[in-house]
Amino acid sequence: MKRKEFLGRLIGEVTNFMLQGNPLRMVVSLHQEDDGAHVSFFDDRPRNEEELERIRTALNPKALRPELAEYYGMMAGHDMAWDARLKLIGWQVKHASVDNSDSGLRIDLWLGSDSFNPDNFTIKKADKDKT
Amino acid sequence: MERTEKLLYRFIAIILGALALTGLALDLPLTTLKDFLTLQTTGGRLLTDFTVFSVGATLFNAALVGTLGLVLVYFSEVSLSGPTIASIFTLVGFGFFGKTPLNCLPIMAGVWIGAKVARKTLGSYSLIALFGTALGPLVTYIMFELNLPLVLSIPLGIGSGLAAGFLLPSIAGSMLQLHQGYNLYNIGFSCGFLGLFISNLLKAANSMEDLTIIWNTTSEPILIWLVPILSLVLFLFALICDGVKNVKKTFKGFLSLQQLPGRLPTDFFDAGSTGSTLMNMGFLGLGSYIYVLVVGAPLNGPVLGGIFTVMGFGCFGKNLKNSYPVVVGVVLATLVFGKDLSAPGPILAALFCTTLAPIAGQFGIIAGMIAGFIHLFMVEATALWHGGLDLYNNGFAGGLTATLLVAILQWFKTNRPKEDFEQ
Repeated sequence: MKRKEFLGRLIGEVTNFMLQGNPLRMVVSLHQEDDGAHVSFFDDRPRNEEELERIRTALNPKALRPELAEYYGMMAGHDMAWDARLKLIGWQVKHASVDNSDSGLRIDLWLGSDSFNPDNFTIKKADKDKT
Repeated sequence: MERTEKLLYRFIAIILGALALTGLALDLPLTTLKDFLTLQTTGGRLLTDFTVFSVGATLFNAALVGTLGLVLVYFSEVSLSGPTIASIFTLVGFGFFGKTPLNCLPIMAGVWIGAKVARKTLGSYSLIALFGTALGPLVTYIMFELNLPLVLSIPLGIGSGLAAGFLLPSIAGSMLQLHQGYNLYNIGFSCGFLGLFISNLLKAANSMEDLTIIWNTTSEPILIWLVPILSLVLFLFALICDGVKNVKKTFKGFLSLQQLPGRLPTDFFDAGSTGSTLMNMGFLGLGSYIYVLVVGAPLNGPVLGGIFTVMGFGCFGKNLKNSYPVVVGVVLATLVFGKDLSAPGPILAALFCTTLAPIAGQFGIIAGMIAGFIHLFMVEATALWHGGLDLYNNGFAGGLTATLLVAILQWFKTNRPKEDFEQ
């Protein structure tokens, strides 16, 4: 899948999920490198710990599922009328972190090739831990 | 490989081995093998009940087709879980009427070539390779029913299978967008779509024969016991996987699976325990079996194929709660249009219509019944459109029905004034 299309689908599905909460503000931030990308999503609706855990579980599946990621993953970001399905994203990203920021929910997605190095990205681990 | 996955491999290998041995034991092994070779040279288009030719050879064929699927799953390094087990059960089921190792292999190889060209692993396209064998009759129809010299027809059949397999990944992804995962047999939908073009190409070349129905009207004794035994084995295996002490927990898990809408892709092994998923498969098998007995349909190849497919999808989208409304819809349509519930079309529609189970799971009983009602009169027409080349004809009709219903429901949902900005 081409990078532009892939990113478009991921952003579409996660924004669909965040818009379900009817936020007043939402920010999507993208940082691309040659071998990967980091996408951050922020809104102004903090979630309780149970909700955060549910989102974390959906975005960080227990096992790699190439058979589901490639084929069913194509549905991600296409369907804005019904509830978002974060698991479609979880199979396709390297890692996801989910926390409440100062204002509301924050989701970080890392995606890229096998040689992808998260250290190249501006949002460092230390900063992530703070949020 | 996890312990549970190893157990599942053993379990499926035992089922396939038992089927193959039963097939060989029914007639003399040499006779079975001879009949098995005869099966390979049948066209296999809808509707060819292999049990009419030989029950032993049919069981052996079904076991080999299933083994092909299991081997593909193993070597493509994907997990043996909901979707892959559903595909293996479906392969075995269609090994009773249309699929043979000979007509499956070129399609699988075509998908593998497609994966190579797209720089993907076979694992990424493994489900397309497994379910794509629905177009198997294209291979054997061209090989053996076009009355061409074998030296020409065999390479032509293989080439057609390779080409179909190569095209499927591109089509399957796009077809998913149409129904948004509400038709469980999406590859059946894709194969029917591709089959339309192939069938009309063959018609233009005056090479498309009319459809014939080869339907065993008697239930062979061994086939009568197949589903109840398999369901019991599933229950037993559910207890082995979860532990006999945890039987209450397993049953509780089974009940919680009934709450899932089942929209693609819902792997029940991820949603519940292994035991509760296997129990769901067993109950779906028994439910389907009882329905077939009640309406008085024969337990022949296609009917068993339907039950095996329902059982297989018991770990990938189907449960009792989301399946029954669609079946009720088919039954109502059958009665309204004055058809016989045990006739080939209605009985197969009643089993395979559960491809639309996610509609009932997501939108409720009435939506499910409407889907089932529409499905019956659609499925009776669609086989002619693709010339019987797509074995998952119900997947094709189901895809059309789901696309229609999802489009209407989506239009209603996106035009609700309450959710609009204030004017």
